[in-house]
Amino acid sequence: MDISELHIRRFDKVLIANRGEIAMRILRACHELGLTTVAIYSDADRNAPHVRFADEAYHIGPSTARDSYLVIDKIIDIAKRSGAEAVHPGYGFLAENAEFARACYEADLVFVGPPPKAIEIMGDKATARSAVSAAGVPVIPGTEPGLNEEELLAAAQEIGFPVMVKASAGGGGKGMRSVQTFPELADAVASAKREAMAAFGDDSVYLEKMVMGSRHIEIQILADGYGNVISLGERECSLQRRHQKLIEEAPSIFVDEDLRQRMGEVSIAAAEAVGYVNAGTIEFLVDSDKNFYFLEMNTRLQVEHPVTELVTGVDIVQEQLRVARGRRLSFSQEDVTIQGWAIECRINAEDPYNNYLPSTGLITTSQLPTGPGVRVDTGVFPGIYISPYYDPMISKLICYGKTRAEAVLRMRRALNEYRITGVKTNVPFHQRMMDSHRFMSGKFDIEFVENQFSMTDRERPYGMEAAILVALAYHEQSQRAAQVVRTGTRETANWKWYDRMR
Amino acid sequence: MKYYATVDGQEYVIEVGHENRIIVNGQPYDIDFKKIPDSGVTSLIVGHHSLEAVVEEKEGDWQVLIRGDLYDVTVEDERSRRLASARGKLMVEEGEVVIQSPMPGIIIAVPVSTGQHVNKGDKIVILESMKMENELRTPRSGMVSQIMVGAGDHVDKDQTLVIITD
Repeated sequence: MDISELHIRRFDKVLIANRGEIAMRILRACHELGLTTVAIYSDADRNAPHVRFADEAYHIGPSTARDSYLVIDKIIDIAKRSGAEAVHPGYGFLAENAEFARACYEADLVFVGPPPKAIEIMGDKATARSAVSAAGVPVIPGTEPGLNEEELLAAAQEIGFPVMVKASAGGGGKGMRSVQTFPELADAVASAKREAMAAFGDDSVYLEKMVMGSRHIEIQILADGYGNVISLGERECSLQRRHQKLIEEAPSIFVDEDLRQRMGEVSIAAAEAVGYVNAGTIEFLVDSDKNFYFLEMNTRLQVEHPVTELVTGVDIVQEQLRVARGRRLSFSQEDVTIQGWAIECRINAEDPYNNYLPSTGLITTSQLPTGPGVRVDTGVFPGIYISPYYDPMISKLICYGKTRAEAVLRMRRALNEYRITGVKTNVPFHQRMMDSHRFMSGKFDIEFVENQFSMTDRERPYGMEAAILVALAYHEQSQRAAQVVRTGTRETANWKWYDRMR
Repeated sequence: MKYYATVDGQEYVIEVGHENRIIVNGQPYDIDFKKIPDSGVTSLIVGHHSLEAVVEEKEGDWQVLIRGDLYDVTVEDERSRRLASARGKLMVEEGEVVIQSPMPGIIIAVPVSTGQHVNKGDKIVILESMKMENELRTPRSGMVSQIMVGAGDHVDKDQTLVIITD
């Protein structure tokens, strides 16, 4: 079957055009479906688990993404050489690159995702907005991309502050800035453009009105090649910092059945408007009156897909592969039920006690929490070096419970068990969030993490124990230094010993 | 041996010496203290109350992470305490603040100039790493005395970027 430049047909061998935890996720789904897998890896990823876990592996280039995971020709070439019949792009990298989807089509490969046209329409904010509003979807006031600085400054005055600067070529929080007042706008635009160029190779930006006190709620949809489109419900993604999601939940405590249904119908209409196939997500801003506005559509699998999987029982990656292989969706909208509650904490290599600065280094231990209702999706393992070349996300910790309260308690328990040494992580951030009264009562919006949440504004119960630990460690240090002075006769021998002990 | 440890504004006088026994502010406790091999964590059992912590020391400053709370701890033994009171003043950090790069990256901008006065928290360097821009801020007020890097420079972790003096 061909749906406007998308091959849909049976295949048995898949190339995973990605790395890290999502490569592992896709490999797992492929292996469970009995498909043969091909991994690609850059210099920095030679020791990564996805390389060892796949059936075949091909080296794709140096560590910088621009020279490896982003090079379309190399990926297509490896697909051909390996005999792969399909390509799964994961998220990030080339997942929303219509040129890549088209290159797969022209190379007679099945692209596990939507048609290039759908990627193009939804990938450009202007065409996305006009396509969905024609289908009756409400949108946020904003500009087209490609305006020059003068035009942007003028448009901002019209839209009204506060305003968001966003990168036209991508998402994931990169190339985004929120601007409160007019004097800050020029710098924010310049900074966003630089970041967008580094992340996506395209520095085009546009403006959007900031809807205050709003929540970021998104709808997961699945569409097969036969015109069936269903909604798998919402995800609550308001807990963000610098526009990067940190904690996601399904369902959202703010969404009642009526809102879920309305947002679902609108999302299906948006997907149908662009002839969508495979998995996708429509992002909305929802204000306190439960009005919702289309933000954008992500024409790929999302990082936070596990929370939807846990409350619906649907394996989204397996469904992606099935749809790409020409199967109809095996369930209808009526079959979709939301049961229980799932929370995902993104574990990043950054220090919440030092302004969230990224941390790099060699992972020496990685002790994952487990037990009932706990799932960890990770591509990290002892011996891997967390480098400045890729995202600082180390893993996703997902907990499921029969109720939200149970999921929160479980997440607290799991966070306490998680041990990573070698880099600083934001586990303490998540631990503090799971204790936060505002979080537990569900009273938060997209401003909460940056403007209201505090790591330290609380009762800290272990001051005495901290004092004891330091006194004992300091004591041990002094004992060792004293021992060095007492034993040994030759000065050189002493120095060697002291060095080794440090 | 007696130690004086201060955390969250509270001082603890801790006597160490007898195996498995310490005295904290006059109160005795049974303790067991073990660094767990290959894990980076320390296990402390105090009066049968068990907890795990990550203890780090950098140039005399101690930090202890327990269940997601980070405690800054300063510690002295009797000798250093005697010396400090003989000097007759509080321990005040003087001299230079060296702004180092926390990780490898590329300098985007240095929005200060030599001789400029800066306040605690001001942006000193903008560094790109891991596909995001990071703002490095000064922990103390002072005057920018040396700028060692410029826009476009590649820097390593711990590389000196800017020096600020009182």
